[in-house]
Amino acid sequence: MLKNKLTVKILIFLIFSDILETFTQFCFKKGALNAVNLDVNNLAGLSVFFKIVFSSGFIWIGVLSVIFTFIIWSTILSKIELSVAVPIASFSYILVPLVSVFFLHEKISLLRWAGIVFILAGVIVVSKSSHERETA
Amino acid sequence: MKLGLFFVLFLIGLTSLLDTINQLFLKSAINSLQVNLSANIFKILKFVWQVVLIPKVWLGGICTLISLCIWLFVLSKADLNFAFSADSMHYIFIAFASRLFLKEKVGFKRWLGTIFIVLGIVFISIS
Repeated sequence: MLKNKLTVKILIFLIFSDILETFTQFCFKKGALNAVNLDVNNLAGLSVFFKIVFSSGFIWIGVLSVIFTFIIWSTILSKIELSVAVPIASFSYILVPLVSVFFLHEKISLLRWAGIVFILAGVIVVSKSSHERETA
Repeated sequence: MKLGLFFVLFLIGLTSLLDTINQLFLKSAINSLQVNLSANIFKILKFVWQVVLIPKVWLGGICTLISLCIWLFVLSKADLNFAFSADSMHYIFIAFASRLFLKEKVGFKRWLGTIFIVLGIVFISIS
C-alpha cells in the first residue's frame, strides 16, 4: 500500500511546513511589536490595537504564510498517518538550535544537545514505524 | 498575578487538547475525501478547496483559535520554559487520539519515538 509510506519527498514537505510555521510566528511577532506601547484595557483600546497591527505588512505576510502552511499540511496528511506526521513535525524544535550553532556559532548547553539527540532519535524511530506498518 | 501551578497545567492541557481535536477533525476530513494526490499544483489546490468546504475543518479551526487565545494568556502568566515543556504532552494526546478515533496502528516503535520526542522537548525547554 503506497498511501502510508513516508517518502523523502514528504519529509522535505514536513520540514518546509516547519520552516513556514516558524516564519509565521516571526511575522506575527513583528506585527504585534508595532503596538507594544499600547495599553489595551477596554474595547476601544482593542480596536485601536487591531488597527495598528493590521496596518503592518508583516501581519499580511504572516496570514499568507498560514494559508501556505495549511495547503502543505493538508497535502502531507493526505499521504501519511496523523500519529506519524505530528511527531515528525517536532523537527522545528531542533531547527532553531541547529541553525544557531552552524550559522551563528552559538554555544549550546549539554542538556540542550541531549534534547536535540532525543528528538532526532524519536523522529527516526517514528519514521521507521511507518515503514513497518507498510510491510506488515 | 501569579496563577497556581495546577491551574496553569490545566490550561496548557486544554490548549493541547484543543489542538489535538483540530488535527483529528482535519485528518478525518481528509481521510473521508480518499484522494491520492500527485505532484500537480492544480490538483492540490482543488483538494485543499474540497477540504476547506468540510464543516468539520471549520470546527477544528475554531478550536485552534480558542487554543491560541488560552496559550497567549498562559504565556503572559507562566514561566516560558515550563509552558513549553508541558505543551509537549500534545504528542501523547495525538498518539492516543489517532489510535482511538482514526484507527491508526500506534505500535511499540511509534510510542517509543513519541516518548523520545517529548523527553527531548522537555530537555530543550528547561535548558
